[in-house]
Amino acid sequence: MRLIIREKPDEASSYVADYIAHRIKEFKPTRERPFVLGLPTGGSPISVYQLLVEKYKAGEISFENVVTFNMDEYVGIPRDHPQSYHTFMWRHFFSHVNIPPTNVHILNGNAPDLAAECDAYEAAIVAAGGIDLFLAGIGSDGHIAFNEPGSSLASRTRVKTLAYDTVLDNARFFDDDIAQVPRLALTVGVQTILDAREVVAIVVGARKAVALRECLESSVNHMWTLSALQLHRHATIVADEDATLELRVRTVKYFRDIEKVARAQGFEQLLSTRLRTVSDVTRNPARTYPQPAAAVVVDEVQSPATSPTLVHPQPVNASLLRAASPAADDQSARSVSPDFVPDRMASRIPEPELARRLTPNPEQQLFIRTNAVGA
Amino acid sequence: MPAAVPPTRPRTGITRFTNCRLVKGDSLVEEDLWVSSQSGKIVSSQAAFFDDLALPDESIDLGGRIISPGLIDVQLNGAFGFNFSTLLEDTAQYGKKFLEVKKGLVATGVTSFLPTLTSQTSGLYQKVLPYLGPSRGIRRFEDGSESLGAHVEGPFLNPAKNGIHSKDVLLEAQTFEDIEACYGKANLGARESNNSPMTMVTVAPERGQMSKLIPELRKRGIICSIGHSAATYEEALVAIEAGATMITHLFNAMRPLHHRNPGIFGVLGAAENLQRPYFGVIADGIHLHPTTVNIAFNTFREGFILVTDAMHMMGLPDGAYQWTNGDATSNIVKVGPTLLLEGTDTIAGSSISLIECVNNFLKWSGTTIPAALKTVTATPAAMLGCQETKGSLNAGADADLVIFSEQLKGGTTELVIDEVWKFGNRAYCRGPVKPPHGTK
Repeated sequence: MRLIIREKPDEASSYVADYIAHRIKEFKPTRERPFVLGLPTGGSPISVYQLLVEKYKAGEISFENVVTFNMDEYVGIPRDHPQSYHTFMWRHFFSHVNIPPTNVHILNGNAPDLAAECDAYEAAIVAAGGIDLFLAGIGSDGHIAFNEPGSSLASRTRVKTLAYDTVLDNARFFDDDIAQVPRLALTVGVQTILDAREVVAIVVGARKAVALRECLESSVNHMWTLSALQLHRHATIVADEDATLELRVRTVKYFRDIEKVARAQGFEQLLSTRLRTVSDVTRNPARTYPQPAAAVVVDEVQSPATSPTLVHPQPVNASLLRAASPAADDQSARSVSPDFVPDRMASRIPEPELARRLTPNPEQQLFIRTNAVGA
Repeated sequence: MPAAVPPTRPRTGITRFTNCRLVKGDSLVEEDLWVSSQSGKIVSSQAAFFDDLALPDESIDLGGRIISPGLIDVQLNGAFGFNFSTLLEDTAQYGKKFLEVKKGLVATGVTSFLPTLTSQTSGLYQKVLPYLGPSRGIRRFEDGSESLGAHVEGPFLNPAKNGIHSKDVLLEAQTFEDIEACYGKANLGARESNNSPMTMVTVAPERGQMSKLIPELRKRGIICSIGHSAATYEEALVAIEAGATMITHLFNAMRPLHHRNPGIFGVLGAAENLQRPYFGVIADGIHLHPTTVNIAFNTFREGFILVTDAMHMMGLPDGAYQWTNGDATSNIVKVGPTLLLEGTDTIAGSSISLIECVNNFLKWSGTTIPAALKTVTATPAAMLGCQETKGSLNAGADADLVIFSEQLKGGTTELVIDEVWKFGNRAYCRGPVKPPHGTK
């Protein structure tokens, strides 16, 4: 994971906008091979959209061959309601750029069959060839899309009940009347986001500082769903100074340093050149991703005969970043872990780790920790 | 902007205005506006995008200029040399002349209006009214400005307040049959049918039994306006209670405001908990003192409607012009903007355009541009009960638009008409039409 820190929120937004514009331009999308962009709603991304619109108006970028997928939408409010995410996207972005309406995908919160709508959405993402770049925001409780605390990190697009806190928080957009606030939403899952080839999250403001600390410095945890980004090969968090208030000084210094060194070395891009300017051959529609139905184990009802223990437990990494996921396209860069079936818990803990942890060697400890943060 | 035109996109008939300020309520809103030349209406861009997957054929960058709903004049007696109260030998010629006026009028920013007939003989009303009715189903931008139905100013008026109307043709109505006999039964339409070519009548409620006949007119969808009347405050109140919702050219041809008898103006004081009526005001600088205009505006802003009361001399050079006045013919002398009945000092209507009234009013009142434009768009539309289709830039309303630029003149801002659009098509352009750029 990379952490990019900028002093002011608008500098963070401008970094993200520049980055997206750069990615689109470098990709040279065509009608047959569009650039697939995942998009959020919320306060932090507004200025990113503004900047992208400015770039479009200045003739810098075109959205003619960009396909978009939005993260979420409320259930049960009219599509053209001032607070709907359709309206948000239309007002802040789509109405100002040249994106063809057929390229835009937003979940329909008024679909007669919400579950079918969610499945179709996942299928549409797959049909588009997977998401190239998912832009994300973050809630003050660390949620990504409407994947609020406790959401499965293996979740897919689905109907979600909103946390009471979120309902209270949103009441200000609905005449301060809690009764008017939608209680359900459709949202992409954490796994849907992890399947993107690249994820960029923008985190600004002191209100998000605790969430950023939990997602960045703590372990992967479903109570802070953004922390799942730690498992992604190409994740970037762009934050302003205020958002880093809860981070350790060391963390901030470390990421600042990396960025400086990387820039000096001309190594700013995280994605491999092959992914950034992927050729027609590798993105051939023939390369289809299997439907993720099997991955949604959380909703599967186990038969009573089956023991609750997993018969074939998979390593976490293999389950969250499956080999078939578009995010795993860059396999050549990393070695693939061999599948193995451990028979007891102890065998799942790698031996060297265990040995090192038992060694009371402060110097080595320090070395490991620094590495761990940067990994 | 990038002008990549995809070859396969079907034409949608939609034009997008961008980089513009829309007159919405009392403010100028920076927002795009989508209009369709196919439906002739303002399009909800969001619905068009998500439902119909439609994109505009053309995008027009207005460089920050103002888009207002098309102007509405509810009192216009004629223009470009043609007086609506004219009986022609060949009645077919009347329709042709009327069409010419409508085509000319659209360039003045007036996209819909009430052609107004002064007090005339019954014969003229019966022959002429069928030509002046609302165009209803016909929506042709080539026809120019659109008639919303006739405003019949008389002849049930008070001879004491006749203005330039001929006293000889003024009538008193005791029963509804008297009204039918004057205008013709067919021209009044049937009850609840709303099919009369007459949209509004100006009456003096104190004459005959007029106050009692107002409800019968209302049932035919005809708006009743108090004017050319010597009604006391109390008599005016009775008329309002009976269903009158408008006052024709406030202050002119009525008793002046007196502190012991406020007269018709008194009903604007929100007395007796009655709905306050709308009222027309002529802001040509001759009919009313600027301060009087401001007093009326500040008394009841929501009812304030600027009207021209323009005669057919509008746009013609100075001189004496023949005018059919009831069953006689007299002359009106035009000197600059002033019109006087020959041999008298009686004001004979105006020869001002509606946008000049708006600019005068802007100068005198110092109010905002949207508030000034409201008096000739949303307010008259509300008075006529057509606020959903006229005088509004909301989705679903008719795409009648005026594009203004602002010019600083003598320390105040003046509005200049650059373009006029009718039913989603460009009907007038001040300069040469720029070729579309950035078709998206």
